[in-house]
Amino acid sequence: MYNEVRVFVENKPGKLSRVVELLGNAHIDLLALDVADEGQYGVFKILTAEPDRARQVLADAGMTVAFNRVAVIEIEDKPGGLIGLANALERGGLNVTEAYGCILERGKRALFVIKGENLEAIESAASEAGLKSLESLK
Amino acid sequence: MNWQVDVTGSRFEWMSEDELRSHQLEALKQTLAQAAKSPWYSDLFKRIDFRPEDVKSLEDITKLPFTTKEDLRLSYPDKMLAVPREEVLRMHTSSGTTGKPTAIFHTREDVDCWAELMARCLAMVGATSRDIFQNMSGYGLFTGGLGLHYGAERLGMWVIPAGPGNTTRQITLIRDFHVTVIHATPSYAMHVAERMLQEGDDPRTLGIRIAALGAEPYTEELRQKLESLYGFKAYNSYGLSEMNGPGVAFECQFQNGLHFWEDAFFVELVNPETLEPTKPGEVGELVMTTLRRKAMPLIRYRTRDLTRLIKGECPCGRKHVRLARMVGRSDDMLIIRGVNVFPSQIEEVIMRNAWLGGNYVLYLTKKESLDQLTVRVEMAKGAFDGSIQTLRERRAELQRQLREQIGFTAEVDLLEPGSLPVSEGKAKRVIDERE
Repeated sequence: MYNEVRVFVENKPGKLSRVVELLGNAHIDLLALDVADEGQYGVFKILTAEPDRARQVLADAGMTVAFNRVAVIEIEDKPGGLIGLANALERGGLNVTEAYGCILERGKRALFVIKGENLEAIESAASEAGLKSLESLK
Repeated sequence: MNWQVDVTGSRFEWMSEDELRSHQLEALKQTLAQAAKSPWYSDLFKRIDFRPEDVKSLEDITKLPFTTKEDLRLSYPDKMLAVPREEVLRMHTSSGTTGKPTAIFHTREDVDCWAELMARCLAMVGATSRDIFQNMSGYGLFTGGLGLHYGAERLGMWVIPAGPGNTTRQITLIRDFHVTVIHATPSYAMHVAERMLQEGDDPRTLGIRIAALGAEPYTEELRQKLESLYGFKAYNSYGLSEMNGPGVAFECQFQNGLHFWEDAFFVELVNPETLEPTKPGEVGELVMTTLRRKAMPLIRYRTRDLTRLIKGECPCGRKHVRLARMVGRSDDMLIIRGVNVFPSQIEEVIMRNAWLGGNYVLYLTKKESLDQLTVRVEMAKGAFDGSIQTLRERRAELQRQLREQIGFTAEVDLLEPGSLPVSEGKAKRVIDERE
């Protein structure tokens, strides 16, 4: 399991700039950034190798920030690379509530980030399918 | 004086100044004697050593303290009831800041008197028993619906008790029954007109000739806009549940101030800070004493409404004092869709949700002529747990609680902690962008 950094923002221009500038100025590398738009407000989901520092930097700047536990599964970066994991989740009867992906090395390694009701079961299903769940992205 | 009712009010309406004052003095004496039968005023009179029979002139009323909204709450449910319970025919309540209502009682004579006052308002603007009247106001504990209803019936009008909402049916009824007089809030009248225009229909074709508009403040521009859209004459109505409801003051055909029925209410205007009488022409808080209510006399009631008084005979010939347009409220009450809302009611809901911070702003706008309330509130520091689901559930629950408290649906904006400006001293809690 892994800590995704989440930021609550009022839905108005300038919020994304503020977050990426703060992280960029602190030399924090973003692996992925996903935006959940809830209308009047939104939630940024940030995947980084340094979640603790990212959280601290954003909190110090007065942003509304929290950790969110997710499963980060490494998959192959190729067409059909997600099929093995998807089938494993299906066999386990496991629901995914939120998910997104990102590439680690083009043509080689990618990550699939999953939020679900039972993260442990998701990780063991992945493991049974021969896929690694990452605890660190360093 | 007896508690009898004059159907047309003619014996009061055209009185000379002297006749009116002498009627008021008699009615005041009778009202004070009646008030002494209620536990509340009987205690008060004893405390301040006041005897109703000592009143010799209208000025003597100033020997009595004001009655406030808070007194009404303290007297709840029935400490101001001045008649045996079996004489009560009706009660109305209005919502209070703390959720505790205030109750107003009426005997049969009181209900009749109220109907007479209301009928006089309608007759004053030219309505007759040949008119067909559609009442688009809410019935029930709110006084606007039943007040106009009884007045229109007293005048002998054909009454359609449509109630609020269901715009399509309202238009159908007006058209099918050739309605000539309506009662609505100005914003609802505008909403109906806009709906018709959207559908390529012309409100002028309805043939309405008179509109009684009240229950919320509105501008002269909106009145004129409504008059030109519908081709009717729109008249301002003023009332408050503590003084029965509608039928306290109403414009005549000259639309130059609202005629205040001085035979039924004694009016004073005071500076809301010093509580001293205002100078002629000055804005002050309306203070009223009932002169013709038996079940529940109210003495020197502070209405919180700010206005000016216009003295002298109106071109229509009536000599009762007139009220200028309301300037506002001496406290912070908001009128949203005709409903009284206190910021403190909303604050109360916010305060009982620990996940919210204390900082909020009430944002008022108009959407298709209807008032829209948006409660913009900061979350508490540390309340965000990263879950979108939690945010959704909390927001929906907050909306439900607000609806329960104020009676209509408000929009909720969730804000980051610290995002609202922190002002020094009293925070500006209300941003009103309704015209």
